[in-house]
Amino acid sequence: MLANADAKATVGVLANPASGRDIRRLVAQASVFPTAEKANMVQRICGALGTLGIARVLMSTDLGGISAAVLRATRNRRASQSPWPDLEFCELDRFTETAEDTVTQVRRMIDAGARVIICLGGDGTARAVASACGDVPLLPLSTGTNNAFPQLREATVAGLAAGLVAAGVIDPATATQQTSVLEVRAGDRVELALVDVCVSTATHIGSRALWDPAALTELYCTFAEPDGIGLSSVPGQLCPSPRTEPTGVVLRLCAPEVARHVVHAPIAPGLVLPVGVRSWRPLRPGEELPVSADHGVVAVDGEREIELRRGEPATVRLRADGPRCVDVTRVLGIAAREGWLRDSQQHQ
Amino acid sequence: MTETLSTPAAGELNAEGLLDAYRTMRTIRVFEERVHDEFATGEIPGFVHLYAGEEASATGVCSHLDARDSIASTHRGHGHCIAKGVDPVEMMAEIYGKRTGSCHGKGGSMHIADLSKGMLGANGIVGGGPPLICGTALAAKQQNNGGVGVAFFGDGASNQGTTLESLNLASVWNLPAIFVAENNGYAEATASTWSVAADNIADRAAGFGMPGVIVDGFDFFAVHEAAGEAISRAREGGGPTLIEVKFTRYFGHFEGDQQAYRADEVANARDKLDCLKRFRARVTESGQLESSALDTVDSEVAALIESAVTEAKAAPKPTGVDLETDVYVSY
Repeated sequence: MLANADAKATVGVLANPASGRDIRRLVAQASVFPTAEKANMVQRICGALGTLGIARVLMSTDLGGISAAVLRATRNRRASQSPWPDLEFCELDRFTETAEDTVTQVRRMIDAGARVIICLGGDGTARAVASACGDVPLLPLSTGTNNAFPQLREATVAGLAAGLVAAGVIDPATATQQTSVLEVRAGDRVELALVDVCVSTATHIGSRALWDPAALTELYCTFAEPDGIGLSSVPGQLCPSPRTEPTGVVLRLCAPEVARHVVHAPIAPGLVLPVGVRSWRPLRPGEELPVSADHGVVAVDGEREIELRRGEPATVRLRADGPRCVDVTRVLGIAAREGWLRDSQQHQ
Repeated sequence: MTETLSTPAAGELNAEGLLDAYRTMRTIRVFEERVHDEFATGEIPGFVHLYAGEEASATGVCSHLDARDSIASTHRGHGHCIAKGVDPVEMMAEIYGKRTGSCHGKGGSMHIADLSKGMLGANGIVGGGPPLICGTALAAKQQNNGGVGVAFFGDGASNQGTTLESLNLASVWNLPAIFVAENNGYAEATASTWSVAADNIADRAAGFGMPGVIVDGFDFFAVHEAAGEAISRAREGGGPTLIEVKFTRYFGHFEGDQQAYRADEVANARDKLDCLKRFRARVTESGQLESSALDTVDSEVAALIESAVTEAKAAPKPTGVDLETDVYVSY
């Protein structure tokens, strides 16, 4: 369909089987995103990419049933359906059923020539993919819980945008937006966050999610949007910081009774709770701050990841070299201007 | 002497609670490893199915329960019994088929029960526990005493009609019931990836209108937190929850199982994921407990299990007269 498309264009598709299953289905009313729908999304992406003439899709494999459902779909496709790209499954030698599987598969996709990575999952999935995709454009689609970073967007449309970028008809610098990341260091442990880093008085990682604002003491955000979900919605309603800006924001939190500001924030799906804020200020790119707490847990993108050890200080640094994310709206706007998805015919 | 170096956050255990949890997990582990050794001598009659590796599940859930609450177990029930407070000495005697056992030696490993502790029984029927729990949960609801019923079952039982009907009934009647799917990856020798049509057992909860969550079964704190939320919710009238706990069992389906159906996952789990190792590392690194306190528990548990085996071997067997007792129940 695209006259000047690269005939060898390849797109990687990473679908996380574990996203959308954590305790927030119990403590909040977080959505349940079934495996079958994740597989359907992959099929819709493949349909869009096939229509554009994209040559190849590298699909992740998993033990959760997504890749199996997509494989079954390839065998059951009817001749009348639009062609898909060649579909190759990215095999793993051994599944760990952790984020390590995601990282390994993304690296293999990029080594095999993927020019765009589409990932299906929540903030945690996007974080794992971002740690491995380097400069290759990322298009994160929401199938998780908080979904402050990935977009809740129709997969077909996302597939079209990803295909246009992979085909090389649009300059990646124009099609993508470089995001910021927060780097957390505690001893030899390093974690990256795409949206927020939060310190909790909880002692253990436990079931990972955060839903009790009384336990939160410090919050660092790469961006804060007024219509955000998750912890970044607190500064989103107090001191918004657009994701298009390199500056972030840092807040000191406290009990609402003694707080200077109390924000009623949607910190998780179904949970709009009062969060006390003692103070806040902008966080500059490159700025590194020490974590004040000497015990507790550090959560990245809403998931507890690091249990702080006594005598081992932790720091948070805002970096400007986050993943380059495909701007779907911008790409398809350019496509409309340039007529890439139009056939012009002379009618008599 | 233990010391608490930081005040526990809401919902977290204090030093005493942590030590209790460790003692329970350690007791289950040592009990099961000893039964494994003793079964090989040929002295223990019948079949035994061991719970080693899965301790965080029973302990994490049952540490929230009290005398109002009841649990139903599976053929792999020793861990649930110990976590609900059944006496390990009586349990060992029961496994040896002795008169001093929990059921006077007439139940054996797969039928250990102690109603005085709210332990409705290990159960040889796969999927037998969930309907029982619907009954006790209904009773608790009628009595309005805040009690809950907890059904432990495996990935194999998750496919049984009894389990699915119980999930439906619990939801329809909004029962204070917790369904804990202990997914160790295999129903006997059949991988759950082959036999469970839903890719996660927890996914089935949505079809019954209840929350379904997946928890790392090697992590006591993850299980404890999720179970605490589910049980609080049930006590407050919020209805049932399905919790899928994923882990690996360390021994075969039954003692004597050659385990040709699985590869090296046990060694990896024992080495890198083990719930007891992780618990010890976390509570000592966080300063919540001293290693010496945990070492003391280890010694006490070792002595307890040694004593249990000695007493079980020395205890009398049931006689012919015993066949005529405990046959009928008067209401």
